[in-house]
Amino acid sequence: MIVETAATRRTRIVLAWLVTGLFVFPLYYWVTTAFKSSKDIFNIPPSVWQFSPTLKNFEEVFGISFGYLQRQEVGMGGGDFYMTPRLIDSIVVALGSTALAIVISTMAAYSLSRMDFSGRHHFVNWILSTRMMPPVAVAIPMFFLYKDIGLMDTHLGIIIIHALMNLPLAVLLLKSFFDDVPREIDESAIIDGATRWTIFRRIILPVASGGIAATAVLCFIFSWTEFIFVLTLTQTGLKTVPVVSSSFVTSTGTAWGNMAALGAASMAPAFIFILLVQKQLVRGLTLGSLKQ
Amino acid sequence: MPWLAPLVAMLVVFTIYPLIYNVWLSFHEYAPLKRSLVYVGAENWITLFGDERFWSALSVTLSYFIVLLVVQLVLGMLIALLLDSDIAGFGVLRGLLSLTLVIPPAITGMMFLLIEDPEFGVLTFVLDILGVLDSTTPILATSSTALLGIMLADIWQWTPFMVLIFIAGLRSLPQEPNEAAMLDGASALQILRRITLPMMSKVIAVAVLIRGIDLLRAFDYMFVMTSGGPGTSTYTLSLYAWQQTFSFIKWGYGATISLVGLVIVLLLANLFIYFTRVRW
Repeated sequence: MIVETAATRRTRIVLAWLVTGLFVFPLYYWVTTAFKSSKDIFNIPPSVWQFSPTLKNFEEVFGISFGYLQRQEVGMGGGDFYMTPRLIDSIVVALGSTALAIVISTMAAYSLSRMDFSGRHHFVNWILSTRMMPPVAVAIPMFFLYKDIGLMDTHLGIIIIHALMNLPLAVLLLKSFFDDVPREIDESAIIDGATRWTIFRRIILPVASGGIAATAVLCFIFSWTEFIFVLTLTQTGLKTVPVVSSSFVTSTGTAWGNMAALGAASMAPAFIFILLVQKQLVRGLTLGSLKQ
Repeated sequence: MPWLAPLVAMLVVFTIYPLIYNVWLSFHEYAPLKRSLVYVGAENWITLFGDERFWSALSVTLSYFIVLLVVQLVLGMLIALLLDSDIAGFGVLRGLLSLTLVIPPAITGMMFLLIEDPEFGVLTFVLDILGVLDSTTPILATSSTALLGIMLADIWQWTPFMVLIFIAGLRSLPQEPNEAAMLDGASALQILRRITLPMMSKVIAVAVLIRGIDLLRAFDYMFVMTSGGPGTSTYTLSLYAWQQTFSFIKWGYGATISLVGLVIVLLLANLFIYFTRVRW
């Protein structure tokens, strides 16, 4: 450590909070917009700190009454910006695709971690290349494939494509967690007569459960935030939150308050998740390449 | 090997099939009158080379990639050096920075659309006070500033990605070389240049690789913030390919453009992996 004088230390603290404040500000502004009435949103100069808070936007978006609007005005399912079904679509797709990706990738990651076969290195590179595919280059062929096999505009179709998208992350990340489990454990279990499947289920999965949970969280978040596949492969059957956000832009203006309410509500679970996996975050962001 | 079979099957669907289908599609085009695809030979490829909008999209994609990679790398390293400390509260700051990473980019685009609004946007207001930009110039509707307006959203969302990776990298470095250099009278800057950064090279390479891939595939911000406009100033290859395919029903031509984007990413990323010897 470089020795710090009291003055440089103080400067450093101030600077650190200032820089972080700059990054937090857009988030603060967005979340407060969700609690503003149109009058405060369209105010010039912008009302950043002072406004009269309201839950009206949340009432309109989720069809629940908090007393800011009359119950009949909330328009259960009737309002233009009623988005509860879209939130449910997002949850179904994210949970389903995460489950599918984890089931396939735990098995694959375990065999990549334990079994030596020639060309393993090339195989890992192939998985990595999948992470490089521009979504648009996958979305165009998938559009025609989905039309032919009837997966167009279905939850199952989006679940499958999101699981596919998350496979490189899941396999490489899980492999790095399984690599942390010493091979000696497997070997002694084999001597005791255990099969590969028993070892996988009884030893590897429980020991690496923290890593599997972190992987699942990241898969969930990437499905939750994905845009282009949902945009391309759905019409009216379902829409996730990111894609539906543009429908708040109407010919008579943009419903900023409603959009911010939906956006803020959809960020909440992701924020909780990311804070839960803070310890494995860098490992996850680098697909298992860097360990904290 | 049966354990790998489901993975292999899915990877084939996700990589080999789109590749072959795009190549096949690039030699066909949708004929509205026949309501079907017809073989057109190399016509799409010939059109591509004479298409000014394609070249513009290519140059926007590449400048977006280079500018943002450099900005996020430098900014990320500076902030990482600033925050890499055990001072009370710095853990909270690192947690706060990680929040931007889980916001859907489409929503981030909307956030910056609000902030950069020509009438009541906070940024417009601040820039006007500072005298940087007249409030009569709409940031996202002016071709000279629109791409900058989008880049700002990307910088905001993904600089923390670099910061968190670099902090983890800095923390994993051994302290002895620094201490030895300090005893020999090296300055902080010398230690950074000669010891810290070289030891961080693998970490930097991984961060650059992953961020670079995503920058080359940029789509979401442009789609929600400008739809490529004004003119062609914010068209990336991905966005141009998507619009040709789905807005203008030029299936073959869209596939041709998307293939170019795909080849560029795969080529650059694999060359980078080859030369930096990053291993997974």
